[in-house]
Amino acid sequence: MKLLKPSWVSHNGKPIFSVDIHPDGTKFATGGQGEDSGKVMIWNMAPVLREEDEKNDNVPKMLCQMDNHLACVNCVRWSNNGLYLASGGDDKLVMVWKRAAFIGPSTVFGSSSKLANVEQWRCVTILRNHTGDVMDVAWSPHDVWLASCSVDNTIVIWNARKFPEMVMCLRGHTGLVKGLTWDPVGKYIASQADDHSLKVWRTVDWQMEANITKPFSECGGTTHVLRLSWSPDGQYLVSAHAMNNSGPTAQIVERDGWKTNMDFVGHRKAVTVVKFNPKIFKKKQKNGSSPKPSCPYCCCAVGSKDRSLSVWLTSLKRPLVVIHDLFDKSIMDISWTLTGLGMLVCSMDGTVAYLDFSLDELGDPLSEEEKNTIHQNIYGKSLAITSTQEPQLATTIIENPEMLKYQQERQSSAQNNCRVAGADSTAPKLNSVMNGESLEDIRKNLLKKQVETRTADGRRRITPLCIAQLDTGDFSPALFNSVPILPSSLSNQLPPQLSTDSSSGQVAAAPSLGGLRPNLDPTLARRRPANAAPKGLEDTKDQVLSSSVKSGLLLTSASKIEPMKALDSRFTERSKTTPGVPAAISSTAGLLPLDRPKDVVTSVLKDVKAKEDTSSDSEDKMATINKNLALCKRKPEPLMMDGAEVVEKRKKGRPRKDKMAPPIMSQSFTQIISPPERESIRPAAAAAAVVVTVPAPAPAAVLKLPTPSLQKAFSMQVSMEPAVFLEVENEVTSAAGSRLSQLRCSRDGREWNTLLPSSVVAAAGSSDVLVVACQDRMLSMFSSCGRRLLPSIQLASPVSALNCSAHFVMALTAGATLSVWDVHKQKALVKNESLTTILSGSEVHVSQSLLTQQGVPVIGLSNGKSFCFSSSLETWTLIADRGDCLVQWADFRSCLPTQDASGSSGPLATLQGRNLNAGRMASRLSAAPHHLQQSMTLAFLENQLAAALTLQSAPEYRYWLLIYTRFLVNEGSEFRLRELCKELLGPVHKSAATAWEATTLGLLKRELLREVLPVIGENLRFQRLFTEYQDQLEQLRNK
Amino acid sequence: MAKVQVHNVAVLDNPSPFGNPFQFEITFECMEDLPEDLEWKIIYVGSAESEEYDQVLDSVLVGPVPAGKNMFVFQADAPNPDLIPESDAVGVTIVLITCTYCGQVFIRIGYYVNNEYTDPELRENPPLKPDYSKLHRNILASNPRVTRFQINWEGLAEKMENNENLDPSPNISGMLLPDCLAGKMPPLGLIPDNSMDCI
Repeated sequence: MKLLKPSWVSHNGKPIFSVDIHPDGTKFATGGQGEDSGKVMIWNMAPVLREEDEKNDNVPKMLCQMDNHLACVNCVRWSNNGLYLASGGDDKLVMVWKRAAFIGPSTVFGSSSKLANVEQWRCVTILRNHTGDVMDVAWSPHDVWLASCSVDNTIVIWNARKFPEMVMCLRGHTGLVKGLTWDPVGKYIASQADDHSLKVWRTVDWQMEANITKPFSECGGTTHVLRLSWSPDGQYLVSAHAMNNSGPTAQIVERDGWKTNMDFVGHRKAVTVVKFNPKIFKKKQKNGSSPKPSCPYCCCAVGSKDRSLSVWLTSLKRPLVVIHDLFDKSIMDISWTLTGLGMLVCSMDGTVAYLDFSLDELGDPLSEEEKNTIHQNIYGKSLAITSTQEPQLATTIIENPEMLKYQQERQSSAQNNCRVAGADSTAPKLNSVMNGESLEDIRKNLLKKQVETRTADGRRRITPLCIAQLDTGDFSPALFNSVPILPSSLSNQLPPQLSTDSSSGQVAAAPSLGGLRPNLDPTLARRRPANAAPKGLEDTKDQVLSSSVKSGLLLTSASKIEPMKALDSRFTERSKTTPGVPAAISSTAGLLPLDRPKDVVTSVLKDVKAKEDTSSDSEDKMATINKNLALCKRKPEPLMMDGAEVVEKRKKGRPRKDKMAPPIMSQSFTQIISPPERESIRPAAAAAAVVVTVPAPAPAAVLKLPTPSLQKAFSMQVSMEPAVFLEVENEVTSAAGSRLSQLRCSRDGREWNTLLPSSVVAAAGSSDVLVVACQDRMLSMFSSCGRRLLPSIQLASPVSALNCSAHFVMALTAGATLSVWDVHKQKALVKNESLTTILSGSEVHVSQSLLTQQGVPVIGLSNGKSFCFSSSLETWTLIADRGDCLVQWADFRSCLPTQDASGSSGPLATLQGRNLNAGRMASRLSAAPHHLQQSMTLAFLENQLAAALTLQSAPEYRYWLLIYTRFLVNEGSEFRLRELCKELLGPVHKSAATAWEATTLGLLKRELLREVLPVIGENLRFQRLFTEYQDQLEQLRNK
Repeated sequence: MAKVQVHNVAVLDNPSPFGNPFQFEITFECMEDLPEDLEWKIIYVGSAESEEYDQVLDSVLVGPVPAGKNMFVFQADAPNPDLIPESDAVGVTIVLITCTYCGQVFIRIGYYVNNEYTDPELRENPPLKPDYSKLHRNILASNPRVTRFQINWEGLAEKMENNENLDPSPNISGMLLPDCLAGKMPPLGLIPDNSMDCI
């Protein structure tokens, strides 16, 4: 064993409370007291490991220091994937740090040390919930959760995939909670507190599993930290400070029954920290000795207030080594390297020690595969198979060049990703040239160029120059390559552009605004009071909808209120501001009565021109300017056109274009059926399914679905791209006693209208087809240009719901029958199919009806089930069930594609909606036996695949297919994988007899296989399968 | 943690005649778009003895502040000599820059300022009544003293319980140790770096 105290690792003599080695072993973090704040420092590991690196001045020692914590930092912990660092401190906060690319070295402003930070670590999120000092933080296996404990007696579980979301607050301790450890299997989390107890909590329901008090009854509450640890095989939990016969010990708690029969004895004062070596060891095979199988054992380091450190092997009765007087004060934290041979220890005295062990001393570490086998034997589940830190199955030999090539490609692409971050961080962005002007030039003229205005109360207001956008990686949508804004270009764009033709009419200052006279469109002028007044949302929305329909124009105000944001977003989402998409947002979000006082004048002043600006829009804003010019700054006043607020709202609800154009139903926008039912209409977000709620359950005997009530007039947007609006006015003209109804439609600004002999009850439309149902049970269909496509269809009973998608029309009648027509082919896909089959049971009614782009009708029921009518099978098929327990238990999150924030979008996702997320939350590592859960997940995934297939939703089929494959790969079901590959590949040699279809849902099966194979290749266990099908694919390609 | 981190303050036009305006180029980084403006203030400490000689040279609103790195130049007129006690005109004093969000100060940056005559004749025999036209100001730009305060960044809804974070402009000396300014300081060049720690 070698021992080293690197003197350069220090917080200027201040205490170091925590140390943690990065999973890749190249750096480590320390946390503790700073000058007048908490301090987190990141150090280079190389100078600790190698003397020549320590002496080489070109090798940096300190990589980064962060003074952001306001008070002492008690704990620093790297996430298992090494991307994040979490720190908790006396300021009650937990901060999560991420390496920031694109910013060069810098110092902490005002700090006495002038050392530059080599790496930039930026706080990406702050977790606030604790009301007292945060004592310990811990990442769960696979970084699903982050736990923090505090002197406020609570433990908070944070959703590490969605900071700062809180999953749970564990209450039950009656004293300061000072230590946390996760069960390596992920079933439990254990905490130790000053209330003389160690508690074990289940992760499945976050309830207490065990409360262990006996070994702690004699303990005093004087230990600063109580860092307990769980053994890597999961079998033992070792506590910090415990007492046995009035001597301080570290209590060993067995997983089996939480028995407390053993302890580590020998320290003279309280044990502050216990840390298990991440490796499991087996005895070193000596040359010549018989290779008898020995039991694997764990290694554990114990640090104490008596300033000594002991290292134990669970195979030995006595400690492997005890080191006294290593420090002047209590040991505070211990961290092992992932290799299991190195260890860093830190102390209250502000120093750090490094211990280097040899294999001879500790034994042979088990490989990850062997460790997995142990896990699999004990828990029926191998954990590390999804781990990416170490190559899995390290002992498996890569058998063929393709696999080797593939593995190497994978590695190098991973390295490249890292290098992208690294390379860019070394090239300081700030000196780069921005629009032909270097930062130095900007600085020279900043005073002259910066925009200064006066607020209404005469105060100076400076608009700061944004010189770099924030790169918070995956936590923020900001794009790296967006160009920072210059003051020079800014000055051109700042004044509000008041006319639609660009580049005219610059207005420099507020007073002159009053002089401009907007020629207001009369209809808009009429509407404005209603809009501006803080009326209920429903009213306003209604007004705006109809007003925008009338003028055929859209409110796109949100995109151009604030110069910085607006311009920034212009860079990042240039293509997204198509008219129609923002309309959905601004009409709902922008018109909320605002509760926050706002700087109206200035924000309006900063309006920027936008090319797609419409005249009505700018006039609308002008009016607001005029109206509000007199208002004082920060006077609470509910106003509609509030720049910041609107932008903010819009940002939250910003529609991703890919999401906003789901393959189904993107056409019908919002259908207003009748006033009392308006609440039930989901706005744009629900991708505009027509929702019909039933006021009272229909009597079971006669299946009668509710019908929409007749309205004098209504309007709706049926398609967003192209923007198609429909407007219906009933009984508008009476020509010779007969009353006619008018249907008006505007498509991309072009209008047409037609007359109908009977009142229109319901209407629906897509970009291709418009359909209206009349009171006389007639169904009329029109092309998008207003041409009647078919003679009127007579329905047996009044229409209950009408849907339209692509060139398909679906009608649900009050008599509970369903029909779907293909208008282009003039063919019925579903003919008067009765809903009796699915509406059995008295309390069930239809809650949702959908028509996919492929013309598949879907009926959602109030009992949470969704059926679709498969025209090929001519039966109702169940595609989603919210009450399905498989959904609740299925655990496939580890198989989700990594960069999948959006998930799948399509009819299946629409139907299953939130429920699926709930299942994900509760399911992971549940109490259910693993094999049961595995089967349930498998069953669920196969259900999903089948449902996507029935719904003919190709993207969703592909999405679930990949998840399914990944799950099979993780769980090692070669049998099913092989079947899947076989089906996708099909027969290599064509023969007339084969019934194999080359495509499924329009996707080429072999293309799918090409996507699936890399997933299979990730697990070396399947390398033969991978090679087999890779070869065949290659052969087919060469043919 | 603060949503706004000050990265750098560059002191422009330094040293300069006493009557020149103060110019600070402030670079700060903001974690997310701020709904409210930041309010920056420059406070000139007229006399170490009493805060009643403190002058707020100027206050300015800065906004809108988007997420990212931002910079601006804060220029403020020189202090009004009439408000400075004659005995304190020459020597070391302090200029403070504070930043307020929603009425709460979250950072205070202090600089030592040395006012002295450049003319060796005047330096030897300073006039009884200070001649401000001949005084030169030298801000010790290399050694700012930064104090950060935890504030509630979520706006006005709930103020922090501790009132110490309220705007200190009327009463700043509560945060300065009085003895560090009580006596006359040696000329700037002689101040050892660590003597700054007392602010």
